[in-house]
Amino acid sequence: MRVRLPLGALTGSIIALSLCGCQTLGVKPWQHDVLARPAMALVSEPMDAAIDDHIYFSKEAASGGRGFGGGGCGCN
Amino acid sequence: MTLGLDAVASAPACRRVYQGPLSEIRAPHFRVALILLVAFLGRPPWVVADESLDLAPLRGRVVYLDFWASWCTPCRESFPFMNRLQNELGPQGLVVIGVNVDRNRADAQEFLRTHPAEFRVVYDPKGELPERFGVRGMPTSVLIDRSGRITLRHEGFFLKDRETLTQQVETLLEDR
Amino acid sequence: MQLKRPPSALQLGLMAASCALLSHTARAQTVDSAEQPFELDSALLYYKENPGRVQTIEPVVSLKKDFGDQRILGGTFTVDSLSGATPNGALPSRKPQTFASPSSTSLVPQAGKKTTLYAIAPGNLPQDPHFNEQRVAGDADWSQPMGLDNNLSFGGHVSTEHDFDSFATHADYSRDFNEKNTTLSAGLSEEYDQIHAHGGNPVPGSDYELYEHEGGQTKTVSGALIGVTQIMARNWLMDLNYSYDHSQGYLTDPYRILSVLDALGNVTGYRYENRPDSRARQDLYWVNKVAFGPTVLDVSYRRGKDSWGIGSDTAEAHLRIDLGHGVYLEPHLRWYHQSAADFYDLYLSAATAAPQFMSADPRLAAFIGTTAGLKLGVTIGRYGEVSLRLEEYQQRPSDQSSALPQLQGLNLNPNLTATIAQLSWGLQF
Repeated sequence: MRVRLPLGALTGSIIALSLCGCQTLGVKPWQHDVLARPAMALVSEPMDAAIDDHIYFSKEAASGGRGFGGGGCGCN
Repeated sequence: MTLGLDAVASAPACRRVYQGPLSEIRAPHFRVALILLVAFLGRPPWVVADESLDLAPLRGRVVYLDFWASWCTPCRESFPFMNRLQNELGPQGLVVIGVNVDRNRADAQEFLRTHPAEFRVVYDPKGELPERFGVRGMPTSVLIDRSGRITLRHEGFFLKDRETLTQQVETLLEDR
Repeated sequence: MQLKRPPSALQLGLMAASCALLSHTARAQTVDSAEQPFELDSALLYYKENPGRVQTIEPVVSLKKDFGDQRILGGTFTVDSLSGATPNGALPSRKPQTFASPSSTSLVPQAGKKTTLYAIAPGNLPQDPHFNEQRVAGDADWSQPMGLDNNLSFGGHVSTEHDFDSFATHADYSRDFNEKNTTLSAGLSEEYDQIHAHGGNPVPGSDYELYEHEGGQTKTVSGALIGVTQIMARNWLMDLNYSYDHSQGYLTDPYRILSVLDALGNVTGYRYENRPDSRARQDLYWVNKVAFGPTVLDVSYRRGKDSWGIGSDTAEAHLRIDLGHGVYLEPHLRWYHQSAADFYDLYLSAATAAPQFMSADPRLAAFIGTTAGLKLGVTIGRYGEVSLRLEEYQQRPSDQSSALPQLQGLNLNPNLTATIAQLSWGLQF
């Protein structure tokens, strides 16, 4: 059962929308207290994530796709 | 660099720390009494009322206003630098003020326990001061000259910029 | 990123370049300042498939150093030791079967050739019990900010085992917008692999009896990733990524065969599998991290599809529950579904000519995979954080039986159950 989903076009439009439409979304630079917590990092447990990717890469056909960057303390 | 209220007991260290307006107070006994009173009140050295920051009394001095938070990683580097600035350039009229924007004061105090501030700390949990000063990133330092004008704004703190920052402060101090 | 691996690397495959992309955060948020510039992360993984199947013990050590202003150098070293039985792709049969271990250079004993045979009792799933492989892998990466809003990182990876070598590099870039509320990221990766199976690479699709082998083969994988991270609220972070990768070269598994059956289901022979020499994959990955007080919920969904006809859906959630005093508990749930590859088949029919591409590898079959786990972490003052993670993974294929008379009552593709245990220690100094 295949779902026809133009993944590339979908992501592209979401990115375009977020760039121009997200002036109101977000927090002030001095309100990153919760986001700065290590548990709120996008990949908060890199070792576990790498090991899991390992395991599922070997046992399943799909793999990867995880991203990086963004969030956090927003410092510097 | 870790001089703080721990060193209050030894008088020479005290004098090194409190080189600001206190040094203008001539009566030695009164000065010592004031130092002991502040020591008695505990860290941080100068606890000021929240939020409101009146810079008018500081006219004639150079103000280094720094916006920091306990969760701001580069602030662990900026504190030793600001301590040094306050200690070395204080006599020439520099006042370093750290504006804390933590929501919980306990978090700020935990940070100050491991990274003591040898400068004035102001607490602004509602974030009115960073809003007023147009802070766009953390940390931010704002340099105010002797006539009360905002002359420089630095977003972020980088170790490699310390010399440039010091030179900028010294330039403002030279202008009397 | 390729599924194509000899069983040794397949069971717990190496970190290909796209994987390398994943494990590198462009902004190293955890490495501390000059006072504690080092971060050590280590883990010991124990993976065991039940019953009597592959098991592996894998220590991993990673060290990072912050050279000031978030310029970070990192290195990782992994050793992987695999052993145990692994299915060879043939189906169980009512009659006993005999196969040659891949290290054999001949099916029948001959002078000057090595032959290691293993026998499979009637009704059992054919598995090669002589499985022993060691893998060593190393990664290095460098990350640095460029100005206020940009970050650049790049790195390399090398891994080697007896029958497989891999080399990969990657470069990533991220930029902040909207006062760092929005971050755009992009990454590129390139991988080059050499496959030199034990006993030589079999000619793809050839008759097993002929035992024809050829020299080593290579493959390349090129990958690209773009993503957007958006701070939705003070306690909510959202991330969306699109990745594309293309593999080219020898993508066939050199150790897998297919059973050739007659109309009744009797074995008439076996064939080596044959996969296309190119594969294009796309993935859309959506992550949400939400904090509810001290508790953090990480929930993600990934949709993937590739040019081999495999579509996949992955839904995953982690809930980190802070119990105070540096202790946390983290339950984990994962649900995965994939559809079969176009050329996947349980067996080949003797009546028809062999198709161009074919494979009976359970990893290309349609199945549902579920994982349930629990992690306990404790921070021990300045000695860092120790944690233990215990999980169970189960694969339930949808195609497990056949209408053929001789195959009645046989489980042709049994469920897979695996236990995952991981002990970790992280320290900053």
